[in-house]
Amino acid sequence: MIGSTPSFYPNLVKGGSFLKPNTVNISSNSTIKNTRRTLKNLFYSKKIAPYVFVFPFILIFCGFYLYPVITTIIMSFYDILPGQTKFVGLENYKRLFNPTFYKALYNTSIYTLWTIVILIPIPLLFAVILNSKIMKGKTFFRACLFIPALTSTIVAGVIFRLLFSESETAFANSFIMFFGLDPITWRQSGPAIMFLMVSLATWRWMGVNMIYFLTGLQNIPKEMYEAAEIDGANMINKFWHITIPFLKPVTVYVLTITLFAGYKMFEEAYVFWEVNSPGNISLTLVGYLYKEGFQYNQLGYGSAIGVSLLIIVAILGFIQLQLTGTFRKKGGN
Amino acid sequence: MNKILKLGLTMLLLLSLVLAGCSSKNEPSSNNASEGESNDGSEHQELKFWTFQGLHVEFFEDAAKSWNEMYPDRQINFVAESFPYDEMHNNLLLALQSGVGAPDIVDIEINRFPNFLKGDIQLEPLNNIVEPEIDSFVKSRLDVYAADGNYYGAPTHVGASVAFYNTELFEAAGVSPDDIKTWDDFVEIGKVIKSKTDKPMTAVFTNGFWSFYPMISQKGSDIFDPNGEVILDNQDNVEVLQFIHDMVYKDEIAVLAPGGRHDSEEFFAFMNSGGAAALIMPSWYASRFVEHMPDQSRNFVMKPMPAWEEGGFRSAGMGGTGTAVTKQAKDVELAKDFLAHAKLTKEANIKIWTILGFDPPRHDVWDAPELREANKFTEYFGDGLFDMLIDIKDEINPLNITENTPLARDLIESNVLFNVLREKNQTPEEALKQAADELRSR
Amino acid sequence: MTNKRKSKWGKAILFFIMLIPAFIAVFPLAALLLASFKPSTELMRFGLNVYPQFELWSLDNYIYLFTDGNIYFHWFKNSLIISLFSTILALIFSSMVGYSLAMYRFRGQNVILFLVLLIMMIPFEIMMLPLFRMMIELGAVNTYTGVILPMIVHPLTIFFFRQFALGLPDDLMDAARIDGCSEYGIFARIMVPLMKPAYGAMGILLALFSWNNFLWPLVVLRTKEMLTLPIGLAGLLTPYGNNYDILIAGSVLTVLPIIILFIFAQKYFISSLTAGAIKG
Repeated sequence: MIGSTPSFYPNLVKGGSFLKPNTVNISSNSTIKNTRRTLKNLFYSKKIAPYVFVFPFILIFCGFYLYPVITTIIMSFYDILPGQTKFVGLENYKRLFNPTFYKALYNTSIYTLWTIVILIPIPLLFAVILNSKIMKGKTFFRACLFIPALTSTIVAGVIFRLLFSESETAFANSFIMFFGLDPITWRQSGPAIMFLMVSLATWRWMGVNMIYFLTGLQNIPKEMYEAAEIDGANMINKFWHITIPFLKPVTVYVLTITLFAGYKMFEEAYVFWEVNSPGNISLTLVGYLYKEGFQYNQLGYGSAIGVSLLIIVAILGFIQLQLTGTFRKKGGN
Repeated sequence: MNKILKLGLTMLLLLSLVLAGCSSKNEPSSNNASEGESNDGSEHQELKFWTFQGLHVEFFEDAAKSWNEMYPDRQINFVAESFPYDEMHNNLLLALQSGVGAPDIVDIEINRFPNFLKGDIQLEPLNNIVEPEIDSFVKSRLDVYAADGNYYGAPTHVGASVAFYNTELFEAAGVSPDDIKTWDDFVEIGKVIKSKTDKPMTAVFTNGFWSFYPMISQKGSDIFDPNGEVILDNQDNVEVLQFIHDMVYKDEIAVLAPGGRHDSEEFFAFMNSGGAAALIMPSWYASRFVEHMPDQSRNFVMKPMPAWEEGGFRSAGMGGTGTAVTKQAKDVELAKDFLAHAKLTKEANIKIWTILGFDPPRHDVWDAPELREANKFTEYFGDGLFDMLIDIKDEINPLNITENTPLARDLIESNVLFNVLREKNQTPEEALKQAADELRSR
Repeated sequence: MTNKRKSKWGKAILFFIMLIPAFIAVFPLAALLLASFKPSTELMRFGLNVYPQFELWSLDNYIYLFTDGNIYFHWFKNSLIISLFSTILALIFSSMVGYSLAMYRFRGQNVILFLVLLIMMIPFEIMMLPLFRMMIELGAVNTYTGVILPMIVHPLTIFFFRQFALGLPDDLMDAARIDGCSEYGIFARIMVPLMKPAYGAMGILLALFSWNNFLWPLVVLRTKEMLTLPIGLAGLLTPYGNNYDILIAGSVLTVLPIIILFIFAQKYFISSLTAGAIKG
């Protein structure tokens, strides 16, 4: 997939003011000049450049992520009350083996599964449709599908709560009653609320995932399609043998973020029931963390929940990434 | 080279703008606030207040104004910040836990209050301002915010539970609310109303404990006993839950509240269209009637709860917000004195009714003329509200609040009521025992 | 001849198929807009429905929101400034990291990738206490900096750029090096333009995320004047029962500016997504 050289390339050939890395002159007599040059060379060299690029990241990471996470891990081994922190070893972790935690784990996993199944193939399909030549009104549809993403989860949640209210005149119930079904107490039943949470997520993120796929579709060179057409490939062949493979990096990305987002999910459940749902039907892992950590003031136990969440997601995440070959170097494409 | 320089400079510029932007925003842009660290007494001392209820801000700012008028040599600069409920309590927890960033005075809701009485308590004891006035108060309302003989929170209201009766439905059935003295009467009249008007007598909450808790409290029962032992699964509580269950499924005079909670939009709609003839709720629920159920104005009256037996208690004290002074207050004495002025005096308690519309915790103001003036509540419910409250003031049992009260409430709301009343997969005895065992294991 | 007929049918079918999700997407927002002109008691009675009920329309809810001392505009300004800076800084720094992870081989590369992924897994709630403490000690409480700083290394953006850059040709880099271009020059002059679609997409998404961000600004920001839009509006809700009038109108006003912004920006950003000809 060698593209022809971009049009601005000639500019570089003109500019003769770059330092040429492979022609470093070490034969100068002044050592200071030498060091300066070497440092400059170093800075510009192929080896150091990546480190320069990632330096700000490392800095902020240590401050804003490493430090808090380590503190949280430490906190998980303590019982924490003002002025009375007590080391309790693995006590907090032993407490995790209770039905509420399992319920939270179950709810979260089911939710994640649904979002993966729905929020990857469908946006992909939409992206391909909206990208194809014969589609009319692309901009309009793109905008429409993307607009839900502009709302915050809280606002979207309020909308959904009101649309799916138990009362018979609310939209959802009036809709199904039209088909002769009985009104449903949407918020108060386990399966229904899972439906609500997944629907909320789907509504909001469909457009976003579609944008990701659209972006990925840009990387596919047109010549590939043209060449395939010459060879007599039809729409399905082209889709299956060109589009899908080229979309692999983006698909891996969307799969990864959907997986993580699913396990971290909090707001989609919060808008319906905050943290106390009847029968814990909408309790998620983070919701459980929030409840125990903040509502009952057990910051140590809350930290333990957080750390276990991290472990679970890390395991799942890395299995997924290994399977999709993310850690192979470039060229494993 | 030029382009990279440009890029680098732009980045630097952006960064510096951001950093500059931060320092100038550090001062609260609003007022003439001298950072009240100088404690020579003549400067305005800044008093920072957190709450989760917008209405309370108005109330306290009014108190700050009257304070400054009364005490010109102890002026305060009152700064109020209102956050959403969960977030305010979480931020408070974090601030007290880490020793920095807490306000001087803060509203803490009753269900979160026990969280702040754990470990080394980070609130200031208020005994020196409470004890002089204590005889004028409904004592149980001070006790819920107390621990080990120290008072930590100034109460906001009594929250006396009452019965709201829909007179329109009663009249249509040919009965009167005054016919109801006991719960048995309640059921009997309920059957009459049901047969004459086809409306349920009441609605019970399946995800809120405002039906259940007042009913066990008036019986003299509770979730915990005064020593903190779990009594959630005792005989009284089982009977009450069974009674509620029977009202729905045996006598068929009650329905499950649509929306499950007292503040669900579905429930407001239901009551607003005359869905039930009666409702048991704390008196502060009156403001919800006015706000969200305007169609029923003048159709409802407030009466004492039915008693369990002749001469039994007809009320319970529910809900509440305790205002506390934190240990991080810059001038503790000033904060405490201001708190006393804002919440514990007679004038303050009159304002609790006139500004907040709540039943003030000082019973010696209940016959004050201001409490009888017409306002939107008398408009809605008629006169004589406080006469009724005075009548039941001694029939309120104290509540035994412990560290595990928040958990207990959640268990009742999320599991017990849900399983027994909605899913019907547990008997009252089973559900209560399960919840009690979980509480005991903590 | 048949080809033309086929594509005409194809066009029509696709168009109508896509109308369904488009409608589902827009409908709830339209319902919200409708509801904002009605008093909230209607909402109480009937839930969110599709009956316009024009006779009940009024601007009361909006008037109420604006008469609360202009505070809405402070929130708007704060949200705008924070979103702008977060997005630009995040784009610059995160793209740098993602790019290097894809285009170079260096020690610690996989470790960094690992760290990026790790951050994505961490729910914010577990870091609140240490972060809160740190903010206070840094003196960054109630400042814009405090809110923006952690955003600079946005892991999703880093990961996305990495995936995107994987699709860029290496040989371009070698060719440029031979001609004397520095690594940074390559990045700035060649690769950045090639990554325009990625910048466009992530730019929108970052701006969005920052605009709607709730939890982190809530920890950092204190005074009423410094709050961002989502927090300010959420604070208008009373705890013992919701004040729907303000909530609905406020929600419309949170979403509306960004929809308008989006419709204008669409031309500049999204067009880059379908100008597939770059890859020629």
